[in-house]
Amino acid sequence: MASDARLEAFASDEELLTRDDAKHLVRRLWRLLDRYHRRIAIATLLIMLWTACLLAGPTLVKHGIDAGLRGKDEGALDLAAGLYLAVAIGGLLFARAAIWSVSKIGEPFLRDLRNKVFNHLMALDLGFFEREQTGRLVARLTSDVDAMQDLVQIGLAQFAQNVFLFLGAVIVILVLSWKLALCTLVVVPPVVWASRWFRRESSRAFLEVRDRIGANLATLQEGLAGVRVVQAFGRERAFARRFRETNEAQYDANLETVRISTRYFPFIEFCGVAGTALIIGIGGWFADQRIVTVGTVAAFILYLNNLFEPVQQLSQLYNTLQQSGAALKKLVALLDTEPKVAEKPGAVDLPLEGALEVDDVSFRYGTGPLVLEEVSVTVAHGERLALVGPTGAGKSTLAKLMCRFYDPAVGAVRFGGVSLDDATLASLRERIVVVPQEGFLFAGSIRDNVRVGRPDASDATVDAALDALGIRGRFLELPEGLDTEVRERGSRLSAGERQLVSLARAALADPALLILDEATSNLDPGTERDVEAALEALTAGRSVVVVAHRLSTAARADRIAVVDHGRLQELGRHEELIRREGRYASLWASWTAAQARAS
Amino acid sequence: MDRENEARRAGWRLMRSALATQRSWLTLGILAGGLWTATKLSVPLLAAAAVDQGILGGDGDKILLYSLIIAVIGVIQGLGTAGRRYTAFRISYRVETDLRERLFAHLQQLHFAFHDRAQTGQLMARANSDIQQVNLVVVLLPLTVATMFLLAGVIVVMVLHNALLAVLSLGALPLLSVAAARFSHRLHPVSLQLQNELGDYSGVVEESVAGIRVVKGFGTEARQEEQLRVEADQVLDRALAGARLRANFLPLVDFLPALALVIILGYGGHLVLQGKLQIGDLIAFNAYILYLLWPLRLVGMLIAQAARSSAAAGRIHELLVTDAAVVDPPKPKSLPRTGGGEVRFEGVRFGYSPGAPVLDGLDLLLHPGEAVAVVGPTASGKTTVARLLPRFYDVDAGRVLVDGVDIRELRLRELRRAIGIVFEDTFLFTDSVAENIAFAQPDASMETVREAARLAGADEFIQRLPEGYDTLIGEHGYSLSGGQRQRVAIARAVLADPRVLILDDATSSVDPTKEHEIRAALREVMRDRTTLIIAHRAATIALADRVVLLDEGHVVAEGTHDDLLVNSDRYRQVLAQAGAAAPVAGAAD
Repeated sequence: MASDARLEAFASDEELLTRDDAKHLVRRLWRLLDRYHRRIAIATLLIMLWTACLLAGPTLVKHGIDAGLRGKDEGALDLAAGLYLAVAIGGLLFARAAIWSVSKIGEPFLRDLRNKVFNHLMALDLGFFEREQTGRLVARLTSDVDAMQDLVQIGLAQFAQNVFLFLGAVIVILVLSWKLALCTLVVVPPVVWASRWFRRESSRAFLEVRDRIGANLATLQEGLAGVRVVQAFGRERAFARRFRETNEAQYDANLETVRISTRYFPFIEFCGVAGTALIIGIGGWFADQRIVTVGTVAAFILYLNNLFEPVQQLSQLYNTLQQSGAALKKLVALLDTEPKVAEKPGAVDLPLEGALEVDDVSFRYGTGPLVLEEVSVTVAHGERLALVGPTGAGKSTLAKLMCRFYDPAVGAVRFGGVSLDDATLASLRERIVVVPQEGFLFAGSIRDNVRVGRPDASDATVDAALDALGIRGRFLELPEGLDTEVRERGSRLSAGERQLVSLARAALADPALLILDEATSNLDPGTERDVEAALEALTAGRSVVVVAHRLSTAARADRIAVVDHGRLQELGRHEELIRREGRYASLWASWTAAQARAS
Repeated sequence: MDRENEARRAGWRLMRSALATQRSWLTLGILAGGLWTATKLSVPLLAAAAVDQGILGGDGDKILLYSLIIAVIGVIQGLGTAGRRYTAFRISYRVETDLRERLFAHLQQLHFAFHDRAQTGQLMARANSDIQQVNLVVVLLPLTVATMFLLAGVIVVMVLHNALLAVLSLGALPLLSVAAARFSHRLHPVSLQLQNELGDYSGVVEESVAGIRVVKGFGTEARQEEQLRVEADQVLDRALAGARLRANFLPLVDFLPALALVIILGYGGHLVLQGKLQIGDLIAFNAYILYLLWPLRLVGMLIAQAARSSAAAGRIHELLVTDAAVVDPPKPKSLPRTGGGEVRFEGVRFGYSPGAPVLDGLDLLLHPGEAVAVVGPTASGKTTVARLLPRFYDVDAGRVLVDGVDIRELRLRELRRAIGIVFEDTFLFTDSVAENIAFAQPDASMETVREAARLAGADEFIQRLPEGYDTLIGEHGYSLSGGQRQRVAIARAVLADPRVLILDDATSSVDPTKEHEIRAALREVMRDRTTLIIAHRAATIALADRVVLLDEGHVVAEGTHDDLLVNSDRYRQVLAQAGAAAPVAGAAD
């Protein structure tokens, strides 16, 4: 998407950096570039040499004209031409080395940055992920790092080179003739002014284009995704009209950018010609007065280009810089986020087995209201506990505390007598495993996905885990068996099969305590039976906590904990709770009634 | 390879026809380009004259005169640039916009079978990035014409002054075009590889974030980090490959012209000493070389771009020449005005691919106002029955009649107006609730919309939404639950008061505790309306007056649910598979 790359270079107003931000970021960037300081110095030197070679050309032309042609000295002419050839070759070599050395800093730096930010992200607690949108986090590591890629690939080298080129040209013409130079530099302020105007206006216009493209793509996407509905209701023409509107809006926005550049570029071109006229007019008069030589006038005409180009280029690069700065700011903010659940120094391994005690625990998300209050419950070794309660009552939160996705605000969660926040994270994740609601699959084969449970497991061990749940045969029926790529087109697994893989992972991990979040959606009936059988095999001989959405599941547990309004309301066996005629009994009554209506 | 060339040629034809509408703008652009070229060529000549006659000749008045003329030329040159740039961009954006509109309108007409095969992402790429590729070459066309003028002008002027010097100094410059084209050709695959690697890389990021519960649940952060490290290294490798190409090419942009300048200074200087050339000409030659820098790079880019753009245009062309397979008949009939919605399938055969019929010898009659459930094992073709009735696909043999008229003899619009569908997956558009319900009839009154919503049992929850019927829903709006979406879809289907209603059982995405509410709403809308129910779940069968058992593409048994339970083994078997039992999952005993 060519235009997207073009649009990326424009930052919106809220993304613009303040001066303080910029200073802070530059310091931070310098620290991140720690390993590369030496190489940066070398690259800067190379860029300066490259620029010097570019700047030498017109001065040599001047000497050729003045000493060689006006002085009728063939030797001087040949010397000037020879030197020019030398600096041209020098420029070629230095430019090559400079561009390459900048890339050799920038690209590895980006690689390091990608790894660093990702590793940091992986270390953050689950609470962080629940607060942030997935799309935004992914954007940190993709579009934000990519925004810096533009800068690194060519932007930085160009930026430095243009600054050197402009300053160098100014110095050289001042040395050649400060009088003519001052007259020539008159054209620079209008160019700077116009370039700033252009940058501002085109930023605004391109942001508008970006929005309109987004809106147009959304209509397009919807029209294609919903084409069956459109046709079913005979709305093809109306939808084409709707698309025409967003499409024309995109055209209008594009044309606005054209109008802006139609004002800018001709003006710049005029300034260039006017500069030539100025040099010829004033320079000619100066030459007449013997203040400058003809060669100097010629050199000035050639240097004019070196004054104009950098101003235009820098103005364009400014947008790239702003965009990269905004991206870096977001990345730094992410790197500065401390994980809330981290391993303490001197953490110990959890015992191999034991009871899970939730001891007088209260919890709130951030600064919100208490979600759990003074909850105490113990899951004995080998016991199955079901957590039930209405949506939002706190049962899922309680499950998350049991595996230390969060730390409690008050109280403690212990396994085999050791508080979870005193334990090493490795031993914690080995003893206590959570099987999430939806079976999430990573790219790779079925075998790879099961192996997530224990990365060092051999194929035989993976097979054994699948056998233990009685589901290996089911996957062997697939064309490529356990080597089937799960994300490839055509071999997508059903929701139930994904759950089966997810359960096999847990079986391979072989934890002492298993925390299950029951799926809310229905499965196709055939698979549902397989899932049930697999669950039965998986939970045998283990402590289990299940967050139950269906009371039929809860009824089969050893004990049931009813959570509501953040408190543990009832705790006991199904029959006991029914007899008690409390909250569980009424939940059970309305559940069975709904089931009867449904069938 | 031949096919590829053929596609390219078709692509060029498409671009030419798209440009044909822009003829007057093109002419204007070329005229502006000519003006610009003339001014551009004259400045160095004027400067040379100023140097030779004014400065070296010591004539102050001439210096002033020439510099004033140059300034005036500057204004004209600015106008020329404005004209050529504006027309070039205007033409290219117009072509892009028109082409996209044409493509979209065409895709909207194409039959279901086409959309089944095409991936949305692919079609999006056609309408987005491929059209932009076309834009890139179109925008360069007027500029290229102007550049050719300029190039020709420079060559003529220089040759007139001194042919040998012209050849020597200009000789190396075409290499710039060659190098630019080569660079672009070589960079393109590397950029694609880099994009792929970046795609793999973001794949790892996406799944690590989306699957963070698994990552945290099993403590497999290290595995993810290792995967990312590998991908990041591959990205680095391709990025450096691109950097190497750039490092080799970009310096040439400065070097080749510098070489020409060296020749002008060295050889041209000797010509001046021999009195064969003026100093002013030398300066003019210098200026010309600098002028040609950008245009020559551009030509190279254009050559490389043209190959990509014509391939992209070829792909667009391919879509545009795909004809819709399901179209209006030449002489359409009308439905009888008072028909009660009788539906008849007669000896219908149909398959998605030749030689593999899904339906074979299907006979089915729905009396006016009757609700019939089609039941069958997976892949028995029951969803296909629902798809044939609104002519999403045409039958291979036999016919389908609505109120006695073969549906192929009806205007598609009329047929689809007469049939309301609730799809299995309820797609809603990004629009207000009211607009979604009034989809079939955008001018429907608010009363009609509310009546439809009330019938579908949706009125109550819609009123509780933040902005009631004006609440924005759909992919980018307020997110409704599965059951709510379902009811909006039902309201949408019944708004136009269709003769026939198709329900492709759709309760599978609904929270089990909400299923009975949906069924209550359905009972309401089905009253006195012919309804075809595609029942994937046993519970839905209860809505029907009559049940038809479909197996291997035709009807094997029919009757009421109770009859079939008693009389048909196969029916009992299918029901058992469909999980007549209440849904259960989770920890077992």
